[in-house]
Amino acid sequence: MAIKAYEEMNELGLDILKEIGTIGGGNAATALSSMLSSQVTMAVPSVKILDYNAALACLGDPEELVAAIFVEMAGEVSGIMLFVLTKEVSDEILFRMLGKTESELLELEEIDSSVLIEIGNIVISSYITAMSSLTGVNVELSVPQLAINMLGGIMSVPIAMMGQHSDKIMMITGDFKIDGKALDSTMLLLPDVESLNVLMKKLGVE
Amino acid sequence: MEKKISVGIADMKITRQEGILITYALGSCIGVSFYDPMIKLGALLHIMLPEKGKANDTNVFKFADSGVKETLRKLTAFGATKRRLVVKIAGGAKMFEMKGGGGLGNIGERNAQNVKRILMAEGLRVTSEDTGANYARTMLLDVATGQVYIRSAGKPERML
Repeated sequence: MAIKAYEEMNELGLDILKEIGTIGGGNAATALSSMLSSQVTMAVPSVKILDYNAALACLGDPEELVAAIFVEMAGEVSGIMLFVLTKEVSDEILFRMLGKTESELLELEEIDSSVLIEIGNIVISSYITAMSSLTGVNVELSVPQLAINMLGGIMSVPIAMMGQHSDKIMMITGDFKIDGKALDSTMLLLPDVESLNVLMKKLGVE
Repeated sequence: MEKKISVGIADMKITRQEGILITYALGSCIGVSFYDPMIKLGALLHIMLPEKGKANDTNVFKFADSGVKETLRKLTAFGATKRRLVVKIAGGAKMFEMKGGGGLGNIGERNAQNVKRILMAEGLRVTSEDTGANYARTMLLDVATGQVYIRSAGKPERML
């Protein structure tokens, strides 16, 4: 039973996506733990199907300046993966990796950007690797890119990409905790509708 | 306190006499402001994609072509005259370098080009614009004065 729109997804399908989010996010948290030599955990992920403005509103202030690492997925599953960090989290990462105490998002040095991209790369790749081995899908990832920009502007990219065919977007989100502190960093998996059908088929859901 | 009216993604709002129309963090999307100074009528449109993919898509403000058309229809109904309209545009940034995504790589630029082409076909002239580059913009239209302001991260607010 192939679906044509996100909102046609049934309970079972949504549970499966949540499970993918849990396993992917867990793997990503482990990778982040070893990079930062600290304990990173991830809250239970959620699967949301929302219209554009509601999706944006649930992520935070659209004008907030954030760092986002962006990867395009292609192959059997296509869509976008985003790792969004607030200034607070970026500071924490740069402190742990480089010993920097103060940094402005708009004035990052090249080394700072490289660190953030690498962290994003590892987190996203571990997430996708887990998803691939769970479901047996083949996913190709683009070279990760970093953008320091308003949250709303960053989100306009996946919204425009999905928006061609849908008035809603699907987000599988997970929030990380570093050493028990809830630091505002979100992992977003944004698959297109066709990819959901591929995932469900691979897992034998009819 | 001035009345602020927020315009979402794929959305359009019209107001008259006073109030500020505002749309937040335009990335690859385009904000188009329309203003008829004679009757102090303003509209702010936030489109997302250059043109309608399927004819039955009911979300008119999502696309440049149907969005501009519908906005003009409404403005005219409220008494605006095309030749008096002052039109300004902002947005169309390239947030990331993209390769795939069905030609979406340069969606911002395509949005900007298409909006301008459509406005020209409607006989409207874009008096000023702030498009392209790689940063998001918040766009405000003050309906009392017709002035348009642009805000972006790390830069002071400026008049368009």
